Amino acid sequence: MVQDPLSLLDALMVAMSGFIIVFIMLALLWGIIIVISRAVAGVERRPASAAASAPVPEAARMAAPAPAAAVPPAAPQVVLEGISETEAACVMAIVSHETGIPIDQLVFKSIKAV
Amino acid sequence: MQFSFIEAMKEILASSGFAALAEDPRSLIMILISFVLLYLGIGKKFEPLLLVPIAFGILLANFPLTGMLNAPADGSSPGMLWVFYQGVEHAIYPSLIFLGIGAMTDFGPLIARPSSLLLGAAAQLGIFSAFLLALALGFPGAVAAAIGVIGGADGPTAILVASRLASDYLPAIAIAAYSYMALIPMIQPPLMRLLTTKKEREVKMEQLRPVSKTEKIVFPIAVATVVILLIPDTAPLIGMLMLGNLLRECGVTERLSDTAQNALCNIVTIFLGLSVGCKAVADTFLTWDTIKIILLGLIAFCFSTIGGLIFGKIMYKLSGGKVNPLIGSAGVSAVPMAARVSQVEGQKANPANFLLMHAMGPNVAGVIGSAVAAGFLLKVFGA
Repeated sequence: MVQDPLSLLDALMVAMSGFIIVFIMLALLWGIIIVISRAVAGVERRPASAAASAPVPEAARMAAPAPAAAVPPAAPQVVLEGISETEAACVMAIVSHETGIPIDQLVFKSIKAV
Repeated sequence: MQFSFIEAMKEILASSGFAALAEDPRSLIMILISFVLLYLGIGKKFEPLLLVPIAFGILLANFPLTGMLNAPADGSSPGMLWVFYQGVEHAIYPSLIFLGIGAMTDFGPLIARPSSLLLGAAAQLGIFSAFLLALALGFPGAVAAAIGVIGGADGPTAILVASRLASDYLPAIAIAAYSYMALIPMIQPPLMRLLTTKKEREVKMEQLRPVSKTEKIVFPIAVATVVILLIPDTAPLIGMLMLGNLLRECGVTERLSDTAQNALCNIVTIFLGLSVGCKAVADTFLTWDTIKIILLGLIAFCFSTIGGLIFGKIMYKLSGGKVNPLIGSAGVSAVPMAARVSQVEGQKANPANFLLMHAMGPNVAGVIGSAVAAGFLLKVFGA
């Protein structure tokens, strides 16, 4: 498409247009990701809300067990000192990763900022 | 006729590779260069998975009289390295490596924060800066384009473009690309500290939203469709990258994903390394152009880092200080090395900073960005 030797103007045009095309293409992908995310969120929300709003058959209601008492937490509450919940979650994930022990088999009693 | 042991030995020596080396000592220099590269790969661990096969390819290609690089002629069999090289010549190995990269890559952080894509675009500044500098140094347009792609910090892309536009310069370009990728932890931090303030580096970013399985499955299909339809020359790289990612995310092809990530990627890496190395012969490698390419590669990496950081600073301002500009430097591809550097520098400024996942977004965006830039340059300079 381009013949050698390139003039300074041609070279600048190629470089500028290449850089702009990369930006346009990735900006376009940004838009596509947003569309995909919204579409997927919409599709995934619909069955959930449909299931929630669907009338429960009388027979099923009769057969259903009485509501159980609130389920106690599986693990005791972790005491956080000077650290946010997000940071604590990161620490737990790192400990699990480094030790190779699944996070559901670890018990954290407290996490303190030092 | 009398048999003379001495004469026979003389004849064997005269027809040996040693005698041929003495006739053309430039091959000896290439062999010594291969030893240095082997040392860098094994001793210094500079991208050893690629550098060791490349260096050994250089060694094999520069042994005289082996015929390993001979093309088939008059019904004779081609040399082994010539056969291997066809995988580079026809863009097979780089595309298969991209299949493996796609299978290894989690695009979740990018989908969670799609604005990261712009950081991946900004970090392609090095490609176009190095292209202009290469032109200024007297390289033809197609060669300058291939040299520029070193700035994408993406080995397979650099190899693919070089094999199409500048095959004589392929070894120098590949060696520069992989060497600088290994040196990213040394190249980027000084620029990161120079271009950002301590306050900017300390910024803690909000946690990314969870990304659903469906989004991850639709993403590679949508990207392949849009990008390839718009720039068809990106098809080998983007197509394979997205196929690899679909194998990983769709949940029904674990065996294929595992093969693409491990066995296939490793096998192709051996062939790719040997093929690149075998093109490094004295005639084309022992020139000033090689030194220029190595220097231009370094400049390209620096400009790419600067581009990402400057756009990171713009996003910092636009977001009201919510984006840490250090994640911009991860926009150079080099997955996940560049993201790790952002993490390390962020933690130096603020020990409670965890930037790794935030930096993975621009990092994988850089892979797409460099493939788009490569497709554009192939379109402009391709035959």
